Amino acid sequence: MQKTVLIVEDDYLIAMDLKLMLEELGWQVIGPAATVHNALALLEKEPPAVALLDVSLGDELVTPVAELLKQRAIPFAVATAYAKPEQYGGPLLAAVPNVGKPAGQRRLQAVLAELTQE
Amino acid sequence: MNVDDLYRVLRAGHIQAQGIVDTITDPMLVLDESLRIQNASRSFFTTFKVDRDEVIGRLVYELGDGQWDIPDLRLLLQQVLPRSTAVIDFQVEHDFPRIGRRTMLLSARTLSHPDNVGLSMLLTMVDVTEQVRRNVAKDILFGELRHRIKNLLGVVRSIARQTSTKDRSAEEYRQAFLGRFEALVAAQDLAFGEQHSGNLQALIERVLEPYAGDQHAIVVEPGPPLEPLDPRRIQLLSLVLHELATNAAKYGSLSVSGGKVIAGYAKHGDEELGLTWREINGPRVTPPAATGYGTRLIQSTVTYSLGGTVELNYAATGLEATISIPIPKPVIHS
Repeated sequence: MQKTVLIVEDDYLIAMDLKLMLEELGWQVIGPAATVHNALALLEKEPPAVALLDVSLGDELVTPVAELLKQRAIPFAVATAYAKPEQYGGPLLAAVPNVGKPAGQRRLQAVLAELTQE
Repeated sequence: MNVDDLYRVLRAGHIQAQGIVDTITDPMLVLDESLRIQNASRSFFTTFKVDRDEVIGRLVYELGDGQWDIPDLRLLLQQVLPRSTAVIDFQVEHDFPRIGRRTMLLSARTLSHPDNVGLSMLLTMVDVTEQVRRNVAKDILFGELRHRIKNLLGVVRSIARQTSTKDRSAEEYRQAFLGRFEALVAAQDLAFGEQHSGNLQALIERVLEPYAGDQHAIVVEPGPPLEPLDPRRIQLLSLVLHELATNAAKYGSLSVSGGKVIAGYAKHGDEELGLTWREINGPRVTPPAATGYGTRLIQSTVTYSLGGTVELNYAATGLEATISIPIPKPVIHS
């Protein structure tokens, strides 16, 4: 399987931080996307093996992206500082692993490995 | 006087004087063994909007068309209390007909009379509805704060990682990192400060202040009144302004004496904010051969994080930057 990961994160600096860490771990990064619109477009164009989602994207929530990922059976994790992302992004985010924010490289590696094993 | 003081007074053999009962600031009932109300404090009548006649001599569960017939209260009075001398702060949520849904803390003590075998009970009820509501609001605020702190740490780490070490001494790296770090500090002050909270004009002045040199190097043109900007946009704009200023200090008009920056902002319609940056009296400008990290940070922050546009015009007379970002009207979340 190709190790491709879509990053959805509205802050450029944090998105770049994730990108650098993931690339060091041997992942090929798709995106990053800052908005729901761009994330959905990327999903259509270039479906990733897994996805990493921030919950709150500026003035909108990532929920529609999570819905499409679920529909396409693409596993995903969240990267958020919220302890209970489902309180903000809806029940779809309840049982999803959270790499946290700021995400550590080892945690990223462990969570993405877990996602790709399923 | 609280319920414990009263308990001691009564146990010492005093009579249940109405005066003493009325010194209790929280609503209080004195019940006999059969849970019939012997006495009630003045605050009981005012809090629950009931008259004396409706209360004294009645069974507690019959009060006000059975509004005190609460399963949790029955449990407290019939199961818990007989087996203990006191119950403190037993929380009950209930819809009261005349005052609405309330959260009450119930405390009760049994009181055995020294002269006979009878028992009395003292029952106080403290309305903590407002306090509970405030606590919930505080929890939400605390969650937001934690979210912001973690986000900020993420941004700081990213800046530390991405500030270039290439062809730089450790000292130069530190200078570059701390410059960006100070922009974040300025943003925090302006995002959550007691004064100028969310004020763009104050942010521009604050971020450019270290570069002002002689007083006239930086001119911030007064702009139109704006709604306060949210902390996220304040932080992002602070970083952009810092990169513009540090570039000007290294290569642009602020690198020579007599050089100037004229910064300003304007509203474009209802939902767009324009920022302008003009350097004059500096060295003759030629467009850079390669895009540096600072310039990339400006472009990406504006287009990616802020969803706006940026135009960098390397005019021979000085750099002119025109930035435009959407400011959507706030959506009211339920």
